[in-house]
Amino acid sequence: MSLRNIGVVYRKELKDSLRDRRTVISMVVVPILLFPALTMGMGYLGAKMMTEAKQEVPEVMVVGGNDSPRLMEALKSNKKINAVPASDDYIAQISNKKVRAAVIIPANFDAAAERGEGKTIVIDYYEGEVKSQLAEKTIEDSLTDYREKLARQLVAARGVPGQLAKPFETDDENVAPPEKVAGSSLGGLIPYFVIILALTGAMYPAMDLTAGEKERGTMETILTSPVARTDLVLGKFFMVLTASMATAILSLSSMGVSFLFAKNTLDRLLSDEAHGVHFSIDPSAVLAVFVMILPLSVLFSAVLLAIALFAKSFREAQTYLSPLTIIVIMPAIIALLPGIELNSRTALIPILSTTLVCKELVGGSHPWGFITLIFFASCLYASIAIGVAVSLFNRESVLFRA
Amino acid sequence: MVHSPAQFPVKIEFQFMSEAIVSTPPPPIIEVDELSKHSRTFHRREGIWGGLQNLFYREYKTVAAVDRVSFTINRGEMVGYIGPNGAGKSTSIKMLTGILVPTSGKALVNGYIPYKQRRQYVRTIGVVFGQRTQLWWDIAVIESFKLLRRIYDVSQRDFDARMEQFNHVLGISDFLYTPVRKLSLGERMRCDLAAALLHNPPLLFLDEPTIGLDVVAKHHIREFLRTVNREYQTTVLLTTHDLDDIEELCKRILIIDHGKVLFDGPLEVLKSRLLRTKHIKFAVKQQIDSDTLRLFAGDGVSVDQVDEVTFRLRFDRTKVSGADLIRKLLAEHDVRDLLIEDEPIEEIIKRIYAGEASLVAD
Repeated sequence: MSLRNIGVVYRKELKDSLRDRRTVISMVVVPILLFPALTMGMGYLGAKMMTEAKQEVPEVMVVGGNDSPRLMEALKSNKKINAVPASDDYIAQISNKKVRAAVIIPANFDAAAERGEGKTIVIDYYEGEVKSQLAEKTIEDSLTDYREKLARQLVAARGVPGQLAKPFETDDENVAPPEKVAGSSLGGLIPYFVIILALTGAMYPAMDLTAGEKERGTMETILTSPVARTDLVLGKFFMVLTASMATAILSLSSMGVSFLFAKNTLDRLLSDEAHGVHFSIDPSAVLAVFVMILPLSVLFSAVLLAIALFAKSFREAQTYLSPLTIIVIMPAIIALLPGIELNSRTALIPILSTTLVCKELVGGSHPWGFITLIFFASCLYASIAIGVAVSLFNRESVLFRA
Repeated sequence: MVHSPAQFPVKIEFQFMSEAIVSTPPPPIIEVDELSKHSRTFHRREGIWGGLQNLFYREYKTVAAVDRVSFTINRGEMVGYIGPNGAGKSTSIKMLTGILVPTSGKALVNGYIPYKQRRQYVRTIGVVFGQRTQLWWDIAVIESFKLLRRIYDVSQRDFDARMEQFNHVLGISDFLYTPVRKLSLGERMRCDLAAALLHNPPLLFLDEPTIGLDVVAKHHIREFLRTVNREYQTTVLLTTHDLDDIEELCKRILIIDHGKVLFDGPLEVLKSRLLRTKHIKFAVKQQIDSDTLRLFAGDGVSVDQVDEVTFRLRFDRTKVSGADLIRKLLAEHDVRDLLIEDEPIEEIIKRIYAGEASLVAD
């Protein structure tokens, strides 16, 4: 192994790649444009939808209640909903999103309520549909208000002070630091994107430097030079790693910038601060994410290089590598699922562990034991992958597969 | 075989003998002994069902790409290595350049075993693959040269001197700053040759150096190779499908097919041994009835008409005497012009490849 020759190969590949438009696109343009496009686009759409949903006065069908004028009056006086008479197919109408919800009022409700019989009003809505859920919430709030008012009246009518109907109040207060809030909502997403980009950034050069070189026939010529095969594969590996890291770094910085913009835009769009998302990510957390993704980048680069080396042509390499994207996305998605937590077992699963630990880091906590374990485990996997790539490169049957 | 002088009983009374010892030829630059390369390929079944079967069960068979090939090449020789597609030429070249490891046999080139001492060895050779380039596709030619300078540890002074020389002979200065992908094939080949010779190797392997080039470009390349061979005694082994390359460059040819050497010797020997057919091309003063020429046709002779007044007689010189044929022709017709031609070398090679011609000396 000669560092000088590795350097020569690396510089050659770097020069060659930087003059290749496709590499530049996958390495530089995609990560820089993808994040702003994603955050701005998705954030804008999401905010717009929420605002729209909240501005809409939902149409709500009222089933029954003809014998309960006071309840009907309470519902109709609420300007936040539009109570209309029910038709028979109200369930179908909710499913078809014609109306947002329905209120089913039991017979003789007003009279029963005055006697304190505790009849149940059912609210039908469509779970998972934002506008329907909002309508359900509005109806429930409205009914709760009415219940309190009614209780106060009933208690007062019996000569007892009204406050006894509501003997105490509750209030909530968030004590989690803002980055922790961001961590739970975005912490999983950020490393997920960066990991995927670290993979896709490495993909094109890995194919170009192996299968592409075989296809162009330049593999034989470089093999007739006095550069050892190990130096050759390591030079190529460092180039792929550079592409992977460049993509990760550029996407991280682009993410930071676009989140700053998105924050302002979203804040303006969402006057209701309860639904506003808090974007505040510590720069040191970004650095920490970068450090954790580094060994993963090494792993990706080596694995991609080893697999692409098997292929005889660029197209064949693409066939081999596309399933790999799914293999990488799966653990990253699993990490986003609720209930998947960092423990001694998940810490040993590559990609999953990195996504989980990055989630923690972005969320502001630093589980040092896991950080160390995951970092070194990733380094171990990465060095095994480099070893495999080097040994494959020294095998004639792989280099000149018939 | 290398004879050291000590093995000879030197006798002072035989003056000519000691002179013979002094002029003992240097050891050959390439020694190949029973070199073989086997590759394992699997038998592909046909159809969709066959394709599925291929996925799970493969029948492998071993193919000898190169089968016990032996030859030696001396310093300063220019040897044509020819054979049909798939004959084993490229595999041989790959073994001799250290890319592939032979299955069996020995090769000693420039005193090195190519596949064992590859890194030291390749510093003493230059390689050009006609259909590929060792210049890097997207970067300017000069950058490739600079990288090769570093890889081969060529000093800046030698590098500058050689670049100047290449500019002079190959005229590459015009496109040194152009990316390789924008060069024409002829320009690229000139640059590739310069790249292969940058470290001044005594031995040059060329795999189809003139493939796809136009007549002028071919001429440039051949001229350059002749110059290098003459001035620096650079040994050249070249594979080609263009027999003009052979006729213009090589005194000696090696014909290989199915991994075996079919012929090894001077081009003249091949011709004299295999030139069975000769052509007599003649023109007559007045238009004649081609039927009258039919009389000539017969055992070993055939006639065809080139144009109104020109005809060609092909005859097998083992069966018919050319002199008799000409005598008869001149006696019967008013011949204005006459030319005797050898069978084109392509025809001979074609017959060898088709297995019609035996190369075993009678």
